[in-house]
Amino acid sequence: MKNNEHRDLFPGALEMMILRTLKRQPLHGYALAQYIKRTSNDLLQIEEGSLYPALQRLLKAELVKAEWGISSTNRRVRIYKPTAAGAKHLEREVSRFERMLKGITRVLARGES
Amino acid sequence: MKWFKQIFSRRRFYGDLSEEIQGHLEEKVEELVGNGMSRRGAESAARREFGNVTLMKEKSRDVWRWSFMENLLSDVRYGVRILLGNPGFSIVAILTIALGIGANTAIFSVVYAALIRPLPYSQPERLLTLTELRPKEGRASDADKQTWVSAYPDYLDWTRQCKSFQALAGFSGDGFVLHGAGEPEPLFAAQATVNFFSTLGVKPFLGRDFAAGEDIAAGPKVAILSYGSWIRRFGGDPHILGRSIQLDDKSVSIIGVLPPTFEFAPRGNAELWVPLHIEKDLVTRRSLRWMPVIGRLAEGSTQGQAQAEMNSITANLAAAYPQENGAIRAVLVPLRDRIVGQVQPLLLILFGAVGFVLLIACANVMNLFLVRTAGRRREFNIRAALGASRGRLISQLLAESLILAAAGGVLGLILAEWGTSLLIAAIPDTLLASAPFLRDAHTNLAVLAFLCVAVIFTGIAFGLAPALQISRGQECEALKEETRASAGGVRTRLRGVLVVAEIAFSLVLLIGSGLMVKSLTALLSRDPGFDTKSLLTFSVNLPPTTYPKDPDAIRFDKEFTDRLRALPGVAGVASNSVVPLTGGGASIRFVIEGQPVAKGHENECNIRDVSNNYFPVMKIPLRAGRLFDDSTDSSTVPQHVIVNEAWAKQYLHGQDPIGKRIKFTYSPKENYREIVGVVGNTADTGLDSPEESSLFLPFTQDTNSFINYVVRTAGDPKNAMGEVRASLHAVDPQLVLIQPFTMDQIIAQSPSVFLRRYPSYLIGSFAALALILAMIGLYGLVSYSVSQRTRELGIRIALGAQQKNVMRLVLGEGARLTVLGVVFGLLAALGLTQLMRSLLFGVSALDAVTFASVAVVLAVVAVIACCIPARRAMRTDPAAALRYE
Repeated sequence: MKNNEHRDLFPGALEMMILRTLKRQPLHGYALAQYIKRTSNDLLQIEEGSLYPALQRLLKAELVKAEWGISSTNRRVRIYKPTAAGAKHLEREVSRFERMLKGITRVLARGES
Repeated sequence: MKWFKQIFSRRRFYGDLSEEIQGHLEEKVEELVGNGMSRRGAESAARREFGNVTLMKEKSRDVWRWSFMENLLSDVRYGVRILLGNPGFSIVAILTIALGIGANTAIFSVVYAALIRPLPYSQPERLLTLTELRPKEGRASDADKQTWVSAYPDYLDWTRQCKSFQALAGFSGDGFVLHGAGEPEPLFAAQATVNFFSTLGVKPFLGRDFAAGEDIAAGPKVAILSYGSWIRRFGGDPHILGRSIQLDDKSVSIIGVLPPTFEFAPRGNAELWVPLHIEKDLVTRRSLRWMPVIGRLAEGSTQGQAQAEMNSITANLAAAYPQENGAIRAVLVPLRDRIVGQVQPLLLILFGAVGFVLLIACANVMNLFLVRTAGRRREFNIRAALGASRGRLISQLLAESLILAAAGGVLGLILAEWGTSLLIAAIPDTLLASAPFLRDAHTNLAVLAFLCVAVIFTGIAFGLAPALQISRGQECEALKEETRASAGGVRTRLRGVLVVAEIAFSLVLLIGSGLMVKSLTALLSRDPGFDTKSLLTFSVNLPPTTYPKDPDAIRFDKEFTDRLRALPGVAGVASNSVVPLTGGGASIRFVIEGQPVAKGHENECNIRDVSNNYFPVMKIPLRAGRLFDDSTDSSTVPQHVIVNEAWAKQYLHGQDPIGKRIKFTYSPKENYREIVGVVGNTADTGLDSPEESSLFLPFTQDTNSFINYVVRTAGDPKNAMGEVRASLHAVDPQLVLIQPFTMDQIIAQSPSVFLRRYPSYLIGSFAALALILAMIGLYGLVSYSVSQRTRELGIRIALGAQQKNVMRLVLGEGARLTVLGVVFGLLAALGLTQLMRSLLFGVSALDAVTFASVAVVLAVVAVIACCIPARRAMRTDPAAALRYE
């Protein structure tokens, strides 16, 4: 019940996905949640609410910035987009993640054979 | 400054966040409704997918704040609200803690002032004391610790030869009669070698230090005032320097004022300091050991090196002067040990005892806390269900216990302030003068730091166990109404352990106070060897200009005592060079005819100069032979001595002393003197002093300018004081009564009595407090378990249990805890009372009577404490008890 954003994900994974998504296109919270859900084909168990603490962390670290705007459905929403630091952070995190994944995959593959 | 801006823009952030999340949910609901779902279904689906809204909001906010501090603040706010909502509990807990912490802080203030605070000298740890010791048969080693003397010529040799010391300085007591405006007044003073203050590293506050060449001269010409006497006697006059004052028959110029922080416990009562001014005998004779010496270690040398060097110097002196220095050892002791040595064991024992009180207080409050936390189980379960983490629950409970501890600490500080002044006020003035550092016992930063540590320790001590227990609570049972609580389980077992510990601790304190009281009684009922009732003592100092020769002193003595005897309230007057029970006095070496000894290794015993009627006036019994009398023991024929029983026993081993002859060895001109009488022993240094061997000479053959008188009065000795003073004034208006006290006052103020009376009262009060707390704890536990077992008891009674069975059931529970507590307490006391052995007198640290009687008293009180809930249990109405469920 508690700590759900970490139950299926490692720390930082959600932030990485958020940054990747926002880099593609600035979005507001709801749209962001729907996008991540849809794109992951519902494979990831993410509570929509858990996006918000993650967004606050990114805001605080100044990796994203937010501005109030009007959504396509005509509501007042806060639209997030990555900062330059955010873009750089994303690159670093993704390459780190890929290295890690590669490592894990190798070990798993060796174990099977 | 980013964090700073954030704190202020936070409120807007939180508003934004709520609006954003609200928008998110609405958008979701609209989309789901658009997909054909009912509004109600859509709302709940949106919430389900979103997760715990409050928790998410909180977590989002947590990102922005310094969450630890802020959680703490909110815990504190909530805690205060909770505690205010339950004032009865809070008041009891705060008072208990305040008593515990207050008593501890008060004792700590004294301990700090005496034992922890460095002495007010520069690099005080490098200061040592030097004393010459001569092994004396039959003296307790305790007496050696008190010895602090050396011969002036030896001191000069040490100063010349010893390289381990940067400086060596000597001092001694002194006293004057201050003449000026109004009545002449006696004044306590001290004399010291001119380098005394520079050795301590103390510079005068005003004026200058003694200069070379100002000592040893006949009579002091200059003086340095203590800060206190400068203020008290001279109104803090800034032009005091250069002013002359009249001390005895000498005019003395004031050259300086000591700093306000200066104190020197061995001469704590000195109002002024003068350069050493001693007569020729004391300067030149190596056999006269009278001067305490202090030394400052040279840079880079240690006490061990200094001791080794002193040993070799002492060996050379012994070879050079076998008669005077043959058996002499020089012993180094740190100055600090000399100064606080006597109070240290007492203070540490009191500190330990009061620490027990705090532990018991903690246990008691913890007990209360456990009960109350058990009652709040539901509240905590709900908080846990709403997402409060274990850490948050623990921190909430700890916040509450720390608030209580802090409130107790504030109240305790007030109690401590008051308690400290009470502790100091209970010390007799004469003793306080020899421990001036105790006057400085008050709240300071160190005491506050101790208080804070005590508060935190206390808060955590009684808050942690309940906190851990509640947070261990099973979440699955979270919302179940808790009914039919049984008395079993961890919580009650822990409470039982606490009560057992409380009983054990209070038993230890009770036994300690029992032993102290028994020591005090034994001490006060000890026969000092003379009649202490209706006895007045005082001294008179005869200045050398008016009374230059022995016959002058003898003439004064005769005139004065004749006048006193004529007074209606006076039954007898006598004099002695040492008043019994006040300590001090000279010793002398002697040989017994027919018992040759090696040079320098003669026996040494106390020597006292007494007036011929001293023994009858003091009511000291004559055991054999005769007393001095005016016809045969005139001043011209020094041929008789009287010894006491201890002397006869120690040196003559059962032979008849009458007719035996002895000779003093300090001068080759001495002749043999005959022992004419044996008198009973007297306690010389205090009621607890061992029986020492003493020799008595007639006052007329060994006259002193400082005479101690004892006056046996017909009525209350206090009433005779005025007449005695008037008689002295009539004989010589320049003389004053020095230290006029009744023997009862001397006993009441003596260190030996103080060292037992003070801890008797204090440990006694601590023990009483501990007993009350422990009994409240026991009563509370038994009552609680009775209330929890109402149903069980109801069933038992319904099934036919007799009242006495129920009573036995409840009492049995209390009795079990009490017996356990008593057993543990007795075991702990077996070890702990050993620590207080140095304070005990006439009673063993394992005194079986004290142990047994205290255990019985405690058990009886415990049964009474359990009887109240037991009677309630007995009267349980079975119908009501069962319906209650």
